[in-house]
Amino acid sequence: MIFSQMFDMLDVGIVILDSELNVFKWNRWMATHSKLPPEKIVGKSLFEFYPDLNTPWFLRNCKSVFTFGNFAFFSQKLHKYCFPFKAYNTLGSDFEFMQQSCTVGPLRDENNRITYIYITVQDVTEVAAYENKLITMNTRDGLTGIFNRRYLEAKLKEEFDRHIRYNRPLSLIMLDIDHFKKINDTHGHQAGDFILKSLATTIDERIRAVDIVARYGGEEFCVLLPETTSESALALAEFLRMGIEAEIYHFKDKSIKITISQGVSDLSDGVDSAEALLKKADDGLYESKRLGRNKVSMISNKKKVQ
Amino acid sequence: MNQEASINFSEDEKDILQEIMNIAFGNATADLAEVVDIYVMLSIPNIQVIGIGELPFYLKDTIKDDGESSIVEQKFWGNFKGSGLLVFPSGSGKDLLAFLDDRADYHHEGTAAATLEKGGLLEIGNILIGACVGKVSELLSTFVTYSPPQVLQGKSSDYNYLIEHFDPLQTAIVMKTIFTFKEKDINGFLLILTNHESIDWLRKALHEFMGTYE
Repeated sequence: MIFSQMFDMLDVGIVILDSELNVFKWNRWMATHSKLPPEKIVGKSLFEFYPDLNTPWFLRNCKSVFTFGNFAFFSQKLHKYCFPFKAYNTLGSDFEFMQQSCTVGPLRDENNRITYIYITVQDVTEVAAYENKLITMNTRDGLTGIFNRRYLEAKLKEEFDRHIRYNRPLSLIMLDIDHFKKINDTHGHQAGDFILKSLATTIDERIRAVDIVARYGGEEFCVLLPETTSESALALAEFLRMGIEAEIYHFKDKSIKITISQGVSDLSDGVDSAEALLKKADDGLYESKRLGRNKVSMISNKKKVQ
Repeated sequence: MNQEASINFSEDEKDILQEIMNIAFGNATADLAEVVDIYVMLSIPNIQVIGIGELPFYLKDTIKDDGESSIVEQKFWGNFKGSGLLVFPSGSGKDLLAFLDDRADYHHEGTAAATLEKGGLLEIGNILIGACVGKVSELLSTFVTYSPPQVLQGKSSDYNYLIEHFDPLQTAIVMKTIFTFKEKDINGFLLILTNHESIDWLRKALHEFMGTYE
């Protein structure tokens, strides 16, 4: 009596399946979230109601539990969920489906034979949402919302290795707002912040989804361009330069115009590391500044700029 | 701490355990192939009684980490209590994924390759450890409960944490076997560590197991 009460009282989904994977028990939690009362599903194949579970990984793990009496774990990280239930009551998360952590384990009869397996379903949507928030905080720049330097450096290393391995073109643009200090001094730091945010948006709107724009330092930004030759990167840089030069940013009652200097790099000229790719773009940026700003430069050989 | 347990674990008892492991791993190999299509060969297990204070050193020596190996660790408890450690050589995560060639079934979108790779290691680790521990438990007429497995990459702080936190005050019986996936160039080894506190039980269970043949 007490035990059967527990089955329905716990804030956890519990399903018991027989060796044919027909539903033997379906607790109140499952009934509530699935909107399927036990009388509708008990005795029927689980796959009749959840065909998406009829997969090699699910079958393999259930068989393994029946055979070895081990447990199988379907983590939220890998599977998101096993049962597509509506997510509810999760503050500020945008999950359509309840994120679940599921465990499968064996149930033995009096002769110690495994005759049933159980599945427990735990709602971990809130934890997953919290984790997503942490990931965002860790990879995004707080002011502009674009990626931060840490993320860029990790991605740069990853993309560098991948492009080298498959011998594919990879380019990078490093850019800097000309005379940014003057904007802060003339219009105030709030205006400066507004410009940083606006510029991030302007760039983000003009690049592809696979490109990565990140705030590299104070008023310095990087755009990582996978599968892109230096010709295309230079063309993009010029497109950005002209776009930004033509733009008038309005902050309160002020109209502010800015220009940017850029350096472009690619994998040629013995660029043998992610750092070298960055360095080469930085050298180009320095050259643009030297040439009078509002320019795009690419240092084409390994000439050292002193 | 009861040091008696390790001292009292006789050569005969070690032999019985060796025999049980041979049978258990044989059964595990056969069932893995038949039931879950995992074709793996397990070498004859090597059994060692590791004394107090030696376990962290033993693990460090055995795993001989090159900074790249991946380790799946899973704890289990019951009368028979301990941990399974599955050590894969560097870079086998991707091969394992190809091996479980149904990844398309996972909710793929937005799942990073590294997560999938880790998932492959976890799944294979969970099944291999579960199969071996399960078969040993079955022969010793007991059953165990498992905690979720975890993946540790060599050189990470987690790895050092794991190794250093195997209680040096524990005596452990370590069963080591080398596994090779047939037709795949993946091999590694599996350690099953029996905690100190279940050694007394283990000895009794070994004698009961022999009793059924006498």
